[in-house]
Amino acid sequence: MTARPFASILDSLTRQRWVTAALVVSERDGIVVESNLQIGQSGDRVAALAASLYRKARLSAQAAGMGAVSFMQLEAPGGRLCLVGGGELVLVVVAEPAVNVGLVRVELLRAVGELLAIGGEVEL
Amino acid sequence: MQMTVVEAWIEGPLKRFVVDAGAELALLLHPSGQVLAQHGFARAVDVMSACALAAGIHASSGELGKLLDGKPFRGLHHVGRTRQIFLAEAQSPRGAFIFLTVFGPESSLGLVRLYFEELVKGLADAAPDEVAATGPALAEHFERDLNRNLAALFGRA
Repeated sequence: MTARPFASILDSLTRQRWVTAALVVSERDGIVVESNLQIGQSGDRVAALAASLYRKARLSAQAAGMGAVSFMQLEAPGGRLCLVGGGELVLVVVAEPAVNVGLVRVELLRAVGELLAIGGEVEL
Repeated sequence: MQMTVVEAWIEGPLKRFVVDAGAELALLLHPSGQVLAQHGFARAVDVMSACALAAGIHASSGELGKLLDGKPFRGLHHVGRTRQIFLAEAQSPRGAFIFLTVFGPESSLGLVRLYFEELVKGLADAAPDEVAATGPALAEHFERDLNRNLAALFGRA
């Protein structure tokens, strides 16, 4: 087990054009497990708020009988937040408005399997 | 659940914390164990017990941090079956306070830590410029001051 088990997932996400940060976050605790951030970015803040948002979306979808949340996107004038969940972990991408959301979505959904596999090995 | 404070300037920042972090209980106290503000507690005896325990935990964990790391621990977090506790020191222009909060599954440690930082900034901004004429908490006056503060918090002043 390496010191950065999610490095390959995060690197493949931050290589996407206009993606400024990628984080693996604990959904229950809202804290960063691992991250690729730029200097000056507050990963702790993003992690806490993104985990809370994802959790509420997951519970809302469950209550509405819609099943599990497969992909979540928050769009704002300053950028986008894209999230997918895998077990107890949430994969979060922060991007500029010009990002190709389709590509990010494909990359995130591809990463979920790997997230579940590694998340099962890592003690959280 | 009602929030009550001994000094009015504490109410705004503490209320914002409780709402934003989704905390069930919150307590702000002097390191001696004197209560300054509470949210969510129904009985004075519960506040008194929580303050005594929080002050003791803070003092002993501070010494433990100094032994292990050369400086006190910044905050403590405990996970129970259904609720979690966060305890940390909040520095303000009026001195160091101890902050204790209890939260359930609607909140998270990340949110609590995030809004705790904002609480500390809020207390620093809201603290009055003039320093109240209070001395250190002396053992001989401790019980008198504690009973006075509890009476103020629970409407029996």
